[in-house]
Amino acid sequence: MNELSRAQIRDLMAQVVRNQGRVLPDDDSADLREIGFRSLDFSELALRVEDETGEELNFDAPGLRRIATVGDVLDFLAELQRQ
Amino acid sequence: MSDSALVPPSTVVLVSGGSRGLGLAIVTDLLDAGLTVAAFARSVTPELEKLADAHPDRVHVGAVDVTDLAAAQGFVRAVEARFGPIDGLVNNAAVGQDSMHTHTATADIARIVETNLTAPLQLTRLVIRRMLGQGRRGRVVNVTSICAQRGFPGLVAYSATKGGMDAATRSLARELGGRMLVNAVAPGFFASEMSAVLGSTQLDQIVRRTPTGHLTEPAEVVPVVRMLLREHTNINGQVIVVDGAASI
Repeated sequence: MNELSRAQIRDLMAQVVRNQGRVLPDDDSADLREIGFRSLDFSELALRVEDETGEELNFDAPGLRRIATVGDVLDFLAELQRQ
Repeated sequence: MSDSALVPPSTVVLVSGGSRGLGLAIVTDLLDAGLTVAAFARSVTPELEKLADAHPDRVHVGAVDVTDLAAAQGFVRAVEARFGPIDGLVNNAAVGQDSMHTHTATADIARIVETNLTAPLQLTRLVIRRMLGQGRRGRVVNVTSICAQRGFPGLVAYSATKGGMDAATRSLARELGGRMLVNAVAPGFFASEMSAVLGSTQLDQIVRRTPTGHLTEPAEVVPVVRMLLREHTNINGQVIVVDGAASI
């Protein structure tokens, strides 16, 4: 499996945010609500990661609900690739 | 073709998924009402075992996966050998979901459909074949969900199966021409179990939008199930929502 690094995931996340006319903060502790990154944006990001790695990323919603910051998103997807 | 004779109250009722939650509450309630009850689930919980011990002459329990048709057939035969013909069926066994459709594994979608839709259709077929073959009348109650009628994120496959069972309820009621009463009970979200899959924000929203001000409890659903199994009401082919008007 072609696993993406945390930095590569961050680049993809920046693309998702940029497509909506916003800028992804450099700070990993940035609050997702403040930058308007919602669950469907997360889904789009996960699908972009899938496209890059060629592997489906399936997950339940409870894990998503614990995600509050940019760093949480990156950690979640980095970890998900290893499962 | 219809048959105008009344369908008598059920006396021997099979409950799938009767080991915990609403299923266990239904089993308990029917026993309290004096019925004979057969209940299966993937595993027999201590609570269900306790009921079996307390009513050895009126309860038959077993560990059966509802998707295992051969095991379900064996269970039905064992129940009939012990108690006589089954004249009531409560399709309660189901698995939940808590994942966006996009990110639900294909195997999980198949499992949800098999457990919540295919299996109860097969179990219903099995039980009504035996009822019809013996010239008996009976009643079927399908436990569905408000998800069949209203949209909720994270419950796409689950909702599809419950909507399928609502539709099957109507068609089966027509098909059986009044020899059997077939209805569904669609609870709103329980405070426990299925509600554990919803976020606290979603749950709070549902409570706020509920005129009765609280989430549905199993104790509020079981009298409706009992009524459909026992009372002469002429209710047939209906889905009765029990949700405090949250969905209205």
